[in-house]
Amino acid sequence: MRLGRLASSLALVFPIAFALHESDVGVVDWHKKLVGVPLTSSSATAPVFHRVGEETTHSVILTATASNVLAAIYPENGTLGDIFMSRGTTLRASISTKTKVVASLSGPGGATLRTFDILNGHLLLEQRIHEPSHGQLYEPSYLGTSVAYAAEGSDLVVLSNGGLVQRLDNLGTVKWSWSSSDPSALVIFSKVVTTTTHVYAIGLSKTPSSYKLHVAVLSASTGELTQSSDIPSSITAGLNDLMVVRRADEVLVVWLEQGSLKYLTLSPNLQSSSTAVKGSAFKRIVDVGLSEYGQFLAVKDDGSSRIFKLDGSALKSIWEFSASGNTHADPVFSGGRDKKGNPYIAQVRWSHALNQAAVDVYTGHLGKGVMTAYTFPFDTQSHGIITHVTLDCVNPSEMTVVSRLAITTSTGAMQLWQQNQHQWTREESLSTIAVAEFVELPEKVDLSHIPKERETFGQRLQRQIMEAQDFPQYALKFVKRFATGSYASASSAAVAPDSAGKPYRDAFGFRQVIVVATPYSKVFGIDSSNGEILWSRMFGLGWAAETGGSIRPVKLYVTQTVHDGDSPQVVLVAQRRAENTLIDTVVYHIDASSGENVAPGVVDKDVLEGVDIISGPLVESFILLDHKVVVMLDEFLQVYLYPDTKAATASFTRLAPSLHFPLRVNVDGQRRLVGQQVSLNAELSDRFVAHPTWTLSLPPSEDIQTLLPASHEPIASFGKVLGNRTTLYKYLNPRMFALLTASKAQPASCTIYLVDSAKGSVLHRTSVPASEGVCDVHMSLVENWFSYYYYDPEFTGVGQSKGHRMVTVELYEGSQIDEKTKSSELSAFSDKLLDVSAFEQAYIFPHGVTALSTTSTKFGISTKDLIVATKNHKVLSIPRRVLNPRRPNRKVTAEEQEEQLIHYDPLIPDDPRRTLSHNYEVANVRRIVTAPALLESTSLVFAYGLDLFFTRVAPSNTFDVLNENFNKGQLVVTVTGLAVAIMVTRPMVKRKRLRERWYQ
Amino acid sequence: MVPWIASLLLLGWLRIVVAFAVKGDILWNDMCPGPEKLGRSKVVLDEGKYYGGIQQDGKFTIPGVPAGTYVLSVSTHDFTFDQLRVDILNTTPPAVEVRPYIPGTPLNPPSSVILPHPISLVARQKHDYFVAHESFSLLAMFKNPMMMIMLLTAVMAIGTPYLMKNMDPEALEEMRASQAKIASAQSAFATGDFKSSISALMSDEPAAVPQPQPKAGPAQNKSRSNKNKRR
Repeated sequence: MRLGRLASSLALVFPIAFALHESDVGVVDWHKKLVGVPLTSSSATAPVFHRVGEETTHSVILTATASNVLAAIYPENGTLGDIFMSRGTTLRASISTKTKVVASLSGPGGATLRTFDILNGHLLLEQRIHEPSHGQLYEPSYLGTSVAYAAEGSDLVVLSNGGLVQRLDNLGTVKWSWSSSDPSALVIFSKVVTTTTHVYAIGLSKTPSSYKLHVAVLSASTGELTQSSDIPSSITAGLNDLMVVRRADEVLVVWLEQGSLKYLTLSPNLQSSSTAVKGSAFKRIVDVGLSEYGQFLAVKDDGSSRIFKLDGSALKSIWEFSASGNTHADPVFSGGRDKKGNPYIAQVRWSHALNQAAVDVYTGHLGKGVMTAYTFPFDTQSHGIITHVTLDCVNPSEMTVVSRLAITTSTGAMQLWQQNQHQWTREESLSTIAVAEFVELPEKVDLSHIPKERETFGQRLQRQIMEAQDFPQYALKFVKRFATGSYASASSAAVAPDSAGKPYRDAFGFRQVIVVATPYSKVFGIDSSNGEILWSRMFGLGWAAETGGSIRPVKLYVTQTVHDGDSPQVVLVAQRRAENTLIDTVVYHIDASSGENVAPGVVDKDVLEGVDIISGPLVESFILLDHKVVVMLDEFLQVYLYPDTKAATASFTRLAPSLHFPLRVNVDGQRRLVGQQVSLNAELSDRFVAHPTWTLSLPPSEDIQTLLPASHEPIASFGKVLGNRTTLYKYLNPRMFALLTASKAQPASCTIYLVDSAKGSVLHRTSVPASEGVCDVHMSLVENWFSYYYYDPEFTGVGQSKGHRMVTVELYEGSQIDEKTKSSELSAFSDKLLDVSAFEQAYIFPHGVTALSTTSTKFGISTKDLIVATKNHKVLSIPRRVLNPRRPNRKVTAEEQEEQLIHYDPLIPDDPRRTLSHNYEVANVRRIVTAPALLESTSLVFAYGLDLFFTRVAPSNTFDVLNENFNKGQLVVTVTGLAVAIMVTRPMVKRKRLRERWYQ
Repeated sequence: MVPWIASLLLLGWLRIVVAFAVKGDILWNDMCPGPEKLGRSKVVLDEGKYYGGIQQDGKFTIPGVPAGTYVLSVSTHDFTFDQLRVDILNTTPPAVEVRPYIPGTPLNPPSSVILPHPISLVARQKHDYFVAHESFSLLAMFKNPMMMIMLLTAVMAIGTPYLMKNMDPEALEEMRASQAKIASAQSAFATGDFKSSISALMSDEPAAVPQPQPKAGPAQNKSRSNKNKRR
């Protein structure tokens, strides 16, 4: 009852200015679910086909990803089954699958065990295995963890922390637990294998020169240690050279020792001695995912590879793939099974001759072994190289094998190929977007009616007569359209005609290109109207192509928009780290509508090649907005320009004296903020060099966390007229930026500064407590409005409470109302610049926040709402009215009412109708980007993190388009009705008047 | 070197920390009948350092919570759950106290109501994200009270002359008198003279009506005393 009353009163207080209709879902917004790039380095986390069911089987691809997600993907269409997200810590999933349950270990040392139903993703069990603070941090992270199902029943045997073995039943009760007694951790166990009677924990013990195999034998029923011993061996490459192969209760440890393949049958008393495979030298052993079925593969020194099979208690070589030689690239191997459980092994490699990927599938159970070979057209120019393959086979008739491959590429894409047919591609690197920017598209102009030049009178007459032929049709169409036609409304889908593959904008500019770059060497152009990828390009490595390397995107600038006349262009500043550790700064210049390389002097080839700007790392870069020149600074603070033209240099030289920017520098091991200016000293260098002008003196315990420059958007009004006809003038300092520092002193706190970049003067400063010693503060700065989020852990004071806080600060000129300093035009060195007053108010926010942003519109006339991504996977908009720091803490007076101020309520209500993402679960948003549309009322919102989400919002309602409720039919009917009524009553009135005249 | 590391590790293992596992379950109700509807959710303490996933059977466990005061909330997409104040007491063995907590109110002093542990939580509200379209229909238009008043006025305007014509003169006289009375009362209301307006209306039976003025007095007092109590 009380809640209901509260809700109704809230509805009165916060009128819904913008609300979603159910029919808008999927029309104004889109949501792309992603899982992250699969972890392919270990067979425990890499993608694998898994069959569920007895008679009619259902396949899913299971994988653990770099985004801490355990995902199930349906191979038919590439859609996601339910996924699970582990939070904060890395997921170290040792996927162990049995029927329809998958188990994962996550957290430090594998601290938490979870089991899931594969088909619906439900969490069946969550159990803490050991304290996370006791977790050993191994490299790689999956080391020292393993999960196996007990040979009988549904119990799990879990190895965590490199030495703790536990047997748990399906309710999470620990049946027994055994901990390696070696506290110095010289032995790290990394694998458990279960048989009906025993559990074997297999690990490596470190010796000065190499590793030695160590096996502990435990009783399966009691967990009692029956045997533990080192096995004479010398393994140099650690776990990569060690494998466990089993078939039923026969367990074999296989390892590589100085080029020879050795194996040992595990028995409870560990009495047997190791045997070496005779004849050849091997360089590596490959777990193809069939170790549970007694098969694996070993690559020989000459590049050929052999398939081994566990036969009795000995290893038998059953097939040999020939060496690749120069015709093919190094192969990737994978094993799979069909419905009946028969094993298959595939070799996938790139064929230089065919420019396709070649697959050889070996089927062992048909006759003496059948080899099926085919190729598939893998696009190496846009997906890089194949890093991992997983195989699924069917054997529809004797001697026919149909296989499908799920491949993972170096660009983070997942693809499914059925034989040589491409089924689907998932661009999982989009879960790791580093930079994103909206770019407007050009309008489609119909050029057909524009007459050709030099038209004679006769020609024109002829053309016009020809055109006049269509006039009756046109007139009819016009009337029809006038009477019934519907116009594009703010909530209609943003569709625009595509011609010859070139994208164009729609009527209101809702359709733009979102250019995003990922650290997986790829840049994408995403259509903002539906989320489809318009184009994608892979980065070229330049000179580092020979050594190999990686590209890390740093900044993305729009250097040319459609308003400049030509195609829209973006410049991506990236750092290239070559394998030989050399770091260079490279610039990629891209046409945003097509993805073409438009860098001058660079030929557009298969991959996107950049321009090397700095042979060294980048310290800072920014864009001179009015001149579209990208400025970059190297380690020695020398200035580099892109494009490096005379005009660019000239405009930079002209602007140089007024350029001020802050730079984070390391002084005595601490990050300090130093203001910089550039100057040219022709005697020393031909480049501009930055020199410090001021240093922000921070307390020694404070360390800089983030630096947030104010966003430059058009400002529509310079003041706020109050109810009593006085004015508060906005403090609009274009050089203002926000700074967050973390203090290591006890108690831990975070300090937020608003600083002027020309002089380093602090305009506003607040300190907030750091929860759990971490500064999880998110900020947004636009115009004179600064808002931030933090978690307040303090509750001991009177009236205090723990909770999420949203703080809103507005800066105004002068110390009182009606005081005006013209801050936006003031010289950077004017003393009036410090004449600022701040209004501030804090609110309780119901959820944790992961990203903040404000809406942005074309002219800045519409109010700016705050867009917030929360920890429960939603994207909300909070009206500016709610976040007005001048909300009175008493009854609202008539003057304040006129200003639309509402009574201060500390709690920002959780209104579901303000959820922009409605039913979509938008997971782990890291950043929100907003951009104006052509309509002043509407702002485009793009949120990225793990998932991608796009929508459009109208903070002040869509005042510039007809309301969607506008009923044209009704209007036409009313007008027609009135016309008819007038026609009918006119003679009646006339008659009446006449009669009145007569009889008066 | 090695023994030093070993002793460090041992210290790590032996450090005595009061840690408690907060347990509970989500009780399915009509609003949220099962894990399919609830989706991927977890129960978090404070801002989320300590948390536990909600299992298929609705159970959750937040392991290893050290002594302290926490606010427990359910992090879920589509439902609203109550928040609770959880105190892990620094006793051996550690004990737990669970109390209701209303967001936005001070955490201290704690509520005197102690809830049982393991905790039981039920979904209180399902989020409705959408607003229905305002559709146009003739019937709805005429259901609008303004529209109805307009129609009624129109009917009256047309109908009254006929009505008056058919009335007998005596009744007409009476009606005129009552109309005049109402008109005077209205004008009195407009000028703010409530007493006279009411007396003008009720002049026929003045004894039956209690005076509104004295009644308003105690009512006001009552609400004020309520306020005091809340403080």
